[in-house]
Amino acid sequence: MATSATTRDALCALRHKIAKIEGRLAERLDDADAPVPAGAKAGRLCIGADRFDRALGGGLPRAGLVEIHGRASRDAGATAAFALALCRLSAAAGKPAPLLWIGMSEMFREAGRPYAPGLAARFGLDPELLLVSEARKFTDALWVAEEAARLDCFLAVLLEIRGGKLELTQTQRLHSRALVSGRPLYMIRTAAEPSPTAASVRLLVSPAPAAPRRTLHGPLEGSIGPPGFHVTISKSRTAIPAAFTLEWNDVAFRERGAPTSEDSVPVVPLPSGRPGASAAPGEGMARREIFSGSAAGLQPAREQHPAYRRARRAG
Amino acid sequence: MGVAEARAMHPFLDIVEADPVADRRLLESLADWCDRYTPLVALDGEDGLFLDITGCVHLFGGERCMLDDVLARFFHQGFDVRAGIASTPGAAWAAARFGYSPLVDPGQEEDLLAPLPLVALRLDAVTRAGLESVGLRTSGAIMSAPRAPLVRRFGRQVVLRIDQALGRVEEAISPRLPVPSLSAERALAEPIGLLDDIEALVGLLAKQLRIDLERRGEGAESLQLNLFRVDGAVSRISVGASRPLRDPKLIQKLFHERLAAVEKDIDAGYGFDVVRLSVPVVARFDAIQSDLNGEGGDQGGDIAMFADRVRARLGNQAILGTRLVGSHLPERAAIPEPFSAMEKPKPSISPSSRPNSAKSADQSACATAKERPVRLLERPECVEVGFEEAAKGPQMHFRWRRASYRIARSEGPERIAPEWWRGEAETEPRDYFRVEDEEGRRYWLYRQANGGENAPRWFLHGVFA
Repeated sequence: MATSATTRDALCALRHKIAKIEGRLAERLDDADAPVPAGAKAGRLCIGADRFDRALGGGLPRAGLVEIHGRASRDAGATAAFALALCRLSAAAGKPAPLLWIGMSEMFREAGRPYAPGLAARFGLDPELLLVSEARKFTDALWVAEEAARLDCFLAVLLEIRGGKLELTQTQRLHSRALVSGRPLYMIRTAAEPSPTAASVRLLVSPAPAAPRRTLHGPLEGSIGPPGFHVTISKSRTAIPAAFTLEWNDVAFRERGAPTSEDSVPVVPLPSGRPGASAAPGEGMARREIFSGSAAGLQPAREQHPAYRRARRAG
Repeated sequence: MGVAEARAMHPFLDIVEADPVADRRLLESLADWCDRYTPLVALDGEDGLFLDITGCVHLFGGERCMLDDVLARFFHQGFDVRAGIASTPGAAWAAARFGYSPLVDPGQEEDLLAPLPLVALRLDAVTRAGLESVGLRTSGAIMSAPRAPLVRRFGRQVVLRIDQALGRVEEAISPRLPVPSLSAERALAEPIGLLDDIEALVGLLAKQLRIDLERRGEGAESLQLNLFRVDGAVSRISVGASRPLRDPKLIQKLFHERLAAVEKDIDAGYGFDVVRLSVPVVARFDAIQSDLNGEGGDQGGDIAMFADRVRARLGNQAILGTRLVGSHLPERAAIPEPFSAMEKPKPSISPSSRPNSAKSADQSACATAKERPVRLLERPECVEVGFEEAAKGPQMHFRWRRASYRIARSEGPERIAPEWWRGEAETEPRDYFRVEDEEGRRYWLYRQANGGENAPRWFLHGVFA
């Protein structure tokens, strides 16, 4: 049945309102009828590791504040990389948009500045679309983040702060602005005590040994392949605290030790994180095939295997 | 008379050393203040100012009123000032210093100069002495003397100065500051001092400017706010825009950030009585139509405005984009550059929407496909690499920033040679290794020979994902 223009208009206005309440991005008029990709829960960013996504009730929120904690500033490589991987996942779906990385000068001096060629190689993020904002003071960094959070033209905003005292109201402001604009704001904190924040999810991220490179003859002994992360969900409305060891294979995460079908994973790491023929048009679909496939794959025996069990105690 | 003699006569004499630099600064600040009368203000020697008031007189109610206004305001600031208004800079100079009446009507220059001494013609001391030695003691005397012998004996300067003073030769003054292409100003009866008032006024002035900008089809690329304080101090506040601006609201927003940043440096004192908003740099402004959904159209506008505001508040280096350069040296391959220069057609990120024909883009992607760190240290940091005894045999470790890291695995080397064609001091190639420590942190180390004699040195250059 054809709906009249006024009904559609009213429907659209209501959808916008609901989207705003739910804290996700409103559909545009022209693709309001487009089907939502099956399996991907609306407003949730599915990271590809099944158990992780289920624990968070469908994935990480696509809008709002997400806290990523690192233990020390020497882990800054891992925490930033984890956030960048999340950016890459949200970039895969939508239009290209610039990524804003806000950091403090002291952090950049100590842990290194964002290096665009590396971001392109590992996360497929376009160097032209990387904006780096360097703030000297803690309050300046927060101000930039607040201003950026209200814009919906960024892919995501990375706010990297070290130490410092964060007020609850400050994070509430960041969170509500990011919710309204429908964009994620990843707040990376290192060397700081977890304090009450408005973020709906807090993850503790630390580096894990990388998996060996895959070759046609199986894993290459002693090589450094897809990077690994120990991730602990330390706060979430839906999940109980749990620990995971995740691996980033340039396209999506997978949990280390989870069953996988060997042939759907790129044999060699692909340049710029572009998946091969397996994931050309409907990437979301392809990823589901890869990671929800129940075929018992070959699994390299690894010493780090029970790592997540060990960490669970701490959660 | 020497200082000692003067002190002997008047023991309580206060002696202040001459400070030409401070005098110069004072004169420049006065010149800044005179900007309120005309944009063309030039310094004249150590103690004078030239104001080109062509076309500005009617704004102040005529020459006489303007002169009175200038003199009164300077008097209230504590300066004893003489002024002259004439059709030529030379005549005005003479009128201010030697004339009986400060106003010289056009055509009266000769009458003014004739009785005055030679100094009034701005001749240097040597020429003056020469002219006086032959009995030419007044300007009138040399003006009526035959020109050819004067030039032959005393050089071209004498007749040039006469011609300049009488308007036969055009003399241009060189203004201190570039003249903005557009400006709007408001003189206030009651001086203002609050930031909110200044911001509101900026909005009003921007509205005035908008009309002119629209008529010319241009937008402002940089804006300058001049605040003239009652007692003569002038504050200049500039903001830049990464794309041409016209909207008064946006201009007001930019100045809001800038004023908040420089709040401490602005001393309102007794208030500002003239506020001027000028546009030193303009650029073509293209209107962009948005689509029917009310969005789209101007995609980069929000980001440009955001970047401008961040820069207005935190300085020009506060937000940077990246430019890739075809260089093998990691630190040179990506150069941070100001955001405003990033006006390029944007290639897509997402692999699904990338057209297959973009072959060159693919090639450049292949160039970056090598393993590169996500963070690069500003400069490579020296590390010590060594062996230590462990249960499984000798184990490599490195020491960075006084902490020791045991190397679990490593990959490499990737050799990167220095760019010899740039003629740099660094001549030894670097061998880069990817290294993972026992806790899973991945680093980018490189080894470099040290002059060919000692053991190679190791550096840490970046951190991997």
